[in-house]
Amino acid sequence: MLSRIADSLFWLARYIGRAEDTARILDVTFHTLLEQAPQPHGVRWEPILSMAGEETLFRQFYTEPTAHNVFEFLAFNPDNPSSIMQCITKARENARTIRDRISREMWEDLNSLYLTLGRFDPQEETAAGPHRFCGRVIFGSHRFHGVSDATLPHDEGWDFLRVGWALERAEMTARLVDVQYRNLLALTSVGSTPDNHQWMAVLKSVGAYEAYHRQYHSPIEPARVAEMLILNPQHPRSIRFCVTEMQTSLRAISNTAAGSYANEAERLTGKVLERLRYSRIDEILDDGLHAYLTGLIHQFNTIGEVIARTYFYYAGVA
Amino acid sequence: MCLSDRGLFSGYTAGPFYDEMFSAQGCARSHYARLFEKLGVMAPTQFEDRRKHADLSFLLQGITFTVYSDGRGTERLFPFDLIPRILPQSEWARIESGLSQRVVALNLFLQDVYGKQLILRDRKIPPSLVYSCRHFRREMIGLEVPHGIYTHVCGIDLVRDSGTGEFLVLEDNVRTPSGISYVLENRLVMTRTFPEAFQEHEVLPVNHYPAELSRILRTLSPRTDPDAQIVLLTPGIHNSAYFEHSFLAQQMGIELVEGRDLIVDGVVVYMKTIYGLKRVDVIYRRVDDDFLDPLCFRSDSMLGVPGLMGAYRAGNVALANTPGNGVADDKAIYAYVPTLIQYYLGEEPILRSVETYLCDRSDHLSHVLSNLPSLVVKSVGESGGYGMLMGPSAAHAEIEAFREKILADPRNFIAQPIVPLSVVPSYDSAAQCLAGRHVDLRPYCLYDGQKVTIVPGGLTRVALEAGSLVVNSSQGGGSKDTWILRGEC
Repeated sequence: MLSRIADSLFWLARYIGRAEDTARILDVTFHTLLEQAPQPHGVRWEPILSMAGEETLFRQFYTEPTAHNVFEFLAFNPDNPSSIMQCITKARENARTIRDRISREMWEDLNSLYLTLGRFDPQEETAAGPHRFCGRVIFGSHRFHGVSDATLPHDEGWDFLRVGWALERAEMTARLVDVQYRNLLALTSVGSTPDNHQWMAVLKSVGAYEAYHRQYHSPIEPARVAEMLILNPQHPRSIRFCVTEMQTSLRAISNTAAGSYANEAERLTGKVLERLRYSRIDEILDDGLHAYLTGLIHQFNTIGEVIARTYFYYAGVA
Repeated sequence: MCLSDRGLFSGYTAGPFYDEMFSAQGCARSHYARLFEKLGVMAPTQFEDRRKHADLSFLLQGITFTVYSDGRGTERLFPFDLIPRILPQSEWARIESGLSQRVVALNLFLQDVYGKQLILRDRKIPPSLVYSCRHFRREMIGLEVPHGIYTHVCGIDLVRDSGTGEFLVLEDNVRTPSGISYVLENRLVMTRTFPEAFQEHEVLPVNHYPAELSRILRTLSPRTDPDAQIVLLTPGIHNSAYFEHSFLAQQMGIELVEGRDLIVDGVVVYMKTIYGLKRVDVIYRRVDDDFLDPLCFRSDSMLGVPGLMGAYRAGNVALANTPGNGVADDKAIYAYVPTLIQYYLGEEPILRSVETYLCDRSDHLSHVLSNLPSLVVKSVGESGGYGMLMGPSAAHAEIEAFREKILADPRNFIAQPIVPLSVVPSYDSAAQCLAGRHVDLRPYCLYDGQKVTIVPGGLTRVALEAGSLVVNSSQGGGSKDTWILRGEC
């Protein structure tokens, strides 16, 4: 497989993953806030912007983080490289450059998602609220996964897609837990009502609400939410699950047996995974959740760079 | 069966041009009779439904081309017209043998021009005309190309002259002709949109094209390795024919590469894969000569592969089509193709050419300059309908501007009388009815050095604007499915 194609598949998956994550967080936050006592815009919407990592950029376009502005910025703004529309546009662009290597169904599915989303009117949608638009994005992402799974040969190309998806998800879950945990605990300490609704929102934004209840049969507790999203071996959006996926796919690409590694990307992934496997949530909280998650995010970035160096770039070759 | 006010045909009149569907008396020609019957009873709304369905299918597949006239490059659908262009097999057989003859002669001409140059020695064609071709490549002189084939893929444009009803050759495209993907996709969409019409007609299939091209490319490999690595070299996603490049690569199961995916090391071409460098044997290149290798041709090219021509000269990689082919489809050389056919094959041309005036011949030039309003003037090295003057529809100022250009560089221009192109009924979406629109035909010819293979039919391009004679997609043209019907009608 050409390095350029592997690169495009990896980023195709990441862009779609990013669009889905942004859509989920937007949708859930918006609807949770509807049921809450009014608070200043900043308190309500800042966390979302910091999760997306785009606070500075936001300030260049808007003065107030109102629901309207945040939605417009994260969903449609063409100058925000991580806006949902930009991610889907770039995903489609990537797919177009490799359409001879992906299945016809994958291309047509993604192209039709792009065309459908392009028909949404930003003005109208920001007025109507994010649900319709975000619903389409989330469903579109799921459908694309399904179509890919069912129509693409499960060869190296498929594994690069899976690495992209898993890495993007792992990083987004880490950001989500980090930001929400800090934010919600801060609210608790200043005595405002730390009601369960906000923790429910966190779980819902990663589609883990029902799973949480099946797992714990208990009211929502911050530590358990963190455990669910970081250490759970089965939930498809938990960090541990995603890193396991990354390891499996990376090994499939290099054809390496379990218990060993063929390159730096596999070594680092294995190291992260071992820590996730043998850690308990109380240890992590005692050592400081923020530092732990920041460390993870940093390592995910490194793994992304190392994958690129191993498979995509030819050092010293023009 | 004759025209009366029937459904989609209400208001249709056979105009002054050769109508491919109707005789001058307004009766359906025999090979169109069944289709006419079918369309005649179809409600316009039903037709409109199917048309929308076909358009949607092109849109969803992203079968678009890019236009640059607005400075940004926008994706546009290549308009598809649902009424097929039908030719009986007897007529096609003559076209086919005429095209084969032409392709073989053009290939012999290229062998000769870059080899012994006998035709120049024998003064059958002025050497200055050959050497002054914009696409003549000195670098190719004396270079032995695999199996002596230059013209692996040719697209030859034909038009039917309304005056005589005869097919004429309008121009040759032997560099990197495009459009075959539309032939294949049009057929696919057509079979889905009008399945019942195919049940009633025996239409010759076209979908063996990629397999035949792939077979020919494989025979060019310098290594006998059965796993010879064939790739298609594209300028990239921003090229207007990008869809076709990716379509063909997918259909042939070969790698679609850009210049940056390839590297030349020790006069061998490699592609950069996730498992390291992998040797490349044959390149079906859809990048123009100018941009192929910055070390040999244009040094500012970012699309090519430095050192590629060195590897080609060393015989370590094969290229299709061969660089330097542009000398054979130069519009001034076109005027000599009948001579080439006689010289190399000792035969009379089966398909006639359009009368052509070469502006660098003084007798021709004066005729051209005094008849500009009735001629079409073309720049010799251009393609795609760019750099053209359509005398009858041009404004006075435009004609005068062209006169200056011609006088400044006569070698760069040729002129031809306007050929009154034939028409085929086509859907006018504004008026919601059928009307005659001008068409041409581009068949695609594949040459393996022994025989020429032509998929039956080719791309029928249609000028969708009433009265327009310009069929190029970049100038607002559309296309039709082309049916060659088996047997006699």
